[in-house]
Amino acid sequence: MSAFQILAFAVAAFAADAAAQAPAMANDTASGTGLPPPSEMQPVMDRQIFTHAISNQLEGRANGSNTEFRWEGQGWAGTDYDKLWIKSEGTVSNGAVDDGQQQFLYGRAVTTYFDLQGGLRSDIDSRPTRNWAALGIQGLAPYFFDLEVTGFVSGEGHLAAKLEASYDLLLTQRLILQPQVELNVYSKADPARLVGSGFSDIDTGLRLRYELSRKFAPYIGVVYEGKFGQTANFARATGERTGDVRFAFGVRLWF
Amino acid sequence: MITRLFRSLVMGLLPIALIACMNSPPTAVQSSAAVPLGIDLGGSGQVTASPSPRLPADAMTVKGEAASSEHGGGMQMAHAGHNDAHGTGTVNSVDPAKHKVNLSHQPIPEIGWPAMTMDFPVSLSVDLKAITPGTRVNFTIEQQPGGMYEIKAIAPAGGGR
Amino acid sequence: MNPFVSPLALTRRRFLQGAAPAGVSTLLQWSLRGALAAPASVLSGTEFALAIEEVPLTINGRQASATGVNGQVPAPILSWREGDTVSLAVTNRLSEPSSIHWHGVRTPAPMDGVPGLSFRSIMPGETFVYRFLVKQSGTYWYHSHSMFQEQTGLYGAIVIQPRSGYAQAFDRDYVVLLSDWSFEQPETIVSNLKFQSDYYNYGQRTLGTFVEDAQRRGLAETVADRLEWGSMRMSPTDILDVSGATYTYLLNGQPPGANWTALFRPGERVRLRFINGSSMSIFDVRIDGLPMTVVQADGNDIVPVTVDAFRISAAETYDVIVQPGPDRAYTIFAQSEDRTGYARGTLAPRAGMDAPIPSMDPRPMRTMTDMGMGGMEHGSMSGMNMDPGSMPGTEHSSRPGMSHGSMPGMQMDHGRMAAMKASPEAKQLQGSVGVDNVAMLPTERLNRAGEGFPPGRRVLTYADLRALKPGNDPRPPSHEITLHLTGNMERFIWGFDGKKFSESGPIELKRGDRVRFVLINDTMMEHPIHLHGLWSELENGHGEYRPYKHTINVKPGEKLSYLVTADAPGRWAYHCHLLYHMETGMFREVHVA
Repeated sequence: MSAFQILAFAVAAFAADAAAQAPAMANDTASGTGLPPPSEMQPVMDRQIFTHAISNQLEGRANGSNTEFRWEGQGWAGTDYDKLWIKSEGTVSNGAVDDGQQQFLYGRAVTTYFDLQGGLRSDIDSRPTRNWAALGIQGLAPYFFDLEVTGFVSGEGHLAAKLEASYDLLLTQRLILQPQVELNVYSKADPARLVGSGFSDIDTGLRLRYELSRKFAPYIGVVYEGKFGQTANFARATGERTGDVRFAFGVRLWF
Repeated sequence: MITRLFRSLVMGLLPIALIACMNSPPTAVQSSAAVPLGIDLGGSGQVTASPSPRLPADAMTVKGEAASSEHGGGMQMAHAGHNDAHGTGTVNSVDPAKHKVNLSHQPIPEIGWPAMTMDFPVSLSVDLKAITPGTRVNFTIEQQPGGMYEIKAIAPAGGGR
Repeated sequence: MNPFVSPLALTRRRFLQGAAPAGVSTLLQWSLRGALAAPASVLSGTEFALAIEEVPLTINGRQASATGVNGQVPAPILSWREGDTVSLAVTNRLSEPSSIHWHGVRTPAPMDGVPGLSFRSIMPGETFVYRFLVKQSGTYWYHSHSMFQEQTGLYGAIVIQPRSGYAQAFDRDYVVLLSDWSFEQPETIVSNLKFQSDYYNYGQRTLGTFVEDAQRRGLAETVADRLEWGSMRMSPTDILDVSGATYTYLLNGQPPGANWTALFRPGERVRLRFINGSSMSIFDVRIDGLPMTVVQADGNDIVPVTVDAFRISAAETYDVIVQPGPDRAYTIFAQSEDRTGYARGTLAPRAGMDAPIPSMDPRPMRTMTDMGMGGMEHGSMSGMNMDPGSMPGTEHSSRPGMSHGSMPGMQMDHGRMAAMKASPEAKQLQGSVGVDNVAMLPTERLNRAGEGFPPGRRVLTYADLRALKPGNDPRPPSHEITLHLTGNMERFIWGFDGKKFSESGPIELKRGDRVRFVLINDTMMEHPIHLHGLWSELENGHGEYRPYKHTINVKPGEKLSYLVTADAPGRWAYHCHLLYHMETGMFREVHVA
């Protein structure tokens, strides 16, 4: 069995276990009062399903020479304990989609602030597609840092990891400064995708948003796309820059 | 015939209108814009005993003071059974149609009232002809079942200014 | 009558006819008072017909669709008499199930109006006839217990005339029903809070407040304070989950600008029946220039106590008597606890008058006491010592930005904190999905009104409530039930003992039991806890004169207890009366068999 299959099985087992632990409904016998048992109506519906999605980055990135378009967002549907997640990011530059990563995960709330997530990652963009099994945690770390740490295993047994963190600094009630960083690591190089082994790339930015409403906040910022080690070599070989500072402007939306 | 109908209609409505006017709140007719008014559910009527209020716990400065200090809090309660009170004052205006007067009166200790200027409905049995603005008067008021005070006797005060 | 079957058409017609006299008497009241009376009406008698339907509502010129009764929001004032048997035929004209619960009124369990516990609900088109003997008097209220209909307008007052007369005399009598109204759908409000729990909090700490605090208290202390709260992932600015950012606060259904007015003749005694019929709001009420004498709490007589202000939490009621002397107007001012808005009315000798509206007090901040880290003064460690006379007496008010560590003699003893071991139940709760904090040192502070009052203002506290007559049941409790009020603010999950309603079973009591409920608030927000069907006798140091309440507001980090006699059989709801807390899990069944 490949690592991929093991991980997929683990996720399925995890989900089944969560379903089995689905809390028992309130008892349905009324003793001693002579009342017929009330039917399907519950006094409170505290296991509702909610659906949300957010675009953390939906922006144009401009340097002196050209402008790229970058998106990074996620959405989920589910209850307090069990959610299905979709995460997606990518960059469009010179008509090609690069750095595309999509994840389809099942998430389970495990501690006060963190969810455990497992599922599938597909790198879908203009380069060859890659699929990985994913397992990670997401939540709020002490001192209010938003954190996502995910590990991946590919069908061939290659490993990868991704760290994302951000922090919201309130300048005023509506003006918020957000430093953000995304870091990728790979165990094996993937030349077709211009990805080298070891610390591969960093995508970091400082964004200043103004919340016209909680759900709609235009922003401007400064972003840095950096490539390390072997990835940097690949970049240089194809004539790309290894470190790129750009001005970003976009909108943060959610529902 | 229409005039006759109209006349009888007015005659029929007149007593109702009079009743409506008499029971209206103190100054409803004078009010201007349509401010939403609260509905008065009426007074308490006869009460039994009325314990005097006490000060709240965190205003106590003495530590360890027993919780039940029945120190009078300064709010006078009208004693049940004393419905009559007497006062003196000066008439400011008279409203014969509504049978009420506006008085500036001296304090009335019997019911714990300070000096005030206010409207009083007057009992229908009282003749208001001698009561004109500027007149100094002695008057007797009686508490009605609804809680309001009505003048049941009023006469010019003899003597000086 | 079997409450689970709709009455026959004949019966329904009879009840509609029965309602006619009530309707006619209302009309008479209107004409006698003049056409300027507010649209609210009073229904009295023993037969009532209430229709729940969508009604258009205009607040400050903006239109919305609300859930009304007999065409109005708030629902009509119901005037009952103690000793009467009342019948209320409630027709549901909505397209979803509905219900009406008579809050604080002790009815047989099938008449209590809680879907899933008392009955199935009143289905769309159905008429359900409530019928019960009224065995109490005082000020109460009624509201829907279905989904979020209480938020969209289904609430109204109940006034029950006492059979043996009032304890204090008064000349005029007005209901003051406070509520909160949002143009957002309640489902959207909950969804917003699930994604971002501080969605409605526009009073958070910013770079600006950091600089101010650093200037006032020094950089090191400000940084330490921020780190202390940050390490807990909590914010001291969390006062109310839903604020004036979306709410318009109403007084008898009127926004502040409408100037709802209660008329009086100077010198008269006016009774004001304050009801907090809101979904998520706690109000601080005062009438500048007029001290209030509180005579009833939750419908029950108390020894009168004169105060300048009181805090009224969701579902509580306080009856006060005021005696305005001079010929002037007074402002009835009810500011929300987080100071994001206020409800306002006027007490005046003539309609059209108004008095200056005070500016709102500074916004309170949560303290380490609220986080359950012990009292501000020494000596408040555990033990059930409730006598207010033995507690140090000075009122402490916390100004915004004042940190726990900045008062001399009040250093948080970190050594003591570290040495103190978490109780076994606390260990179990910590770290679980439904719990973000456990109060290590919950304090008993019934003699404190809470944060946010300026010094010198006499504010009502629970310790001030002394019943006018001794309790009915002199027995001490035979056992204790301890419950932790818990929540996870980040996920917006609330519950008891770390569990939502759907994750727990009922609390079982035997008929006739005398039990003590001990509540420990592990969260940093107030929770007004309401037990249906049974009286909660709050242990506040007055012995057998402890007050009978139906809703008890537990302060953050507070521990309190109350005695209950399980004298009414049935399945009773037991929950926090902040609607969105209740709907996200803070609910239990108390089953008296």
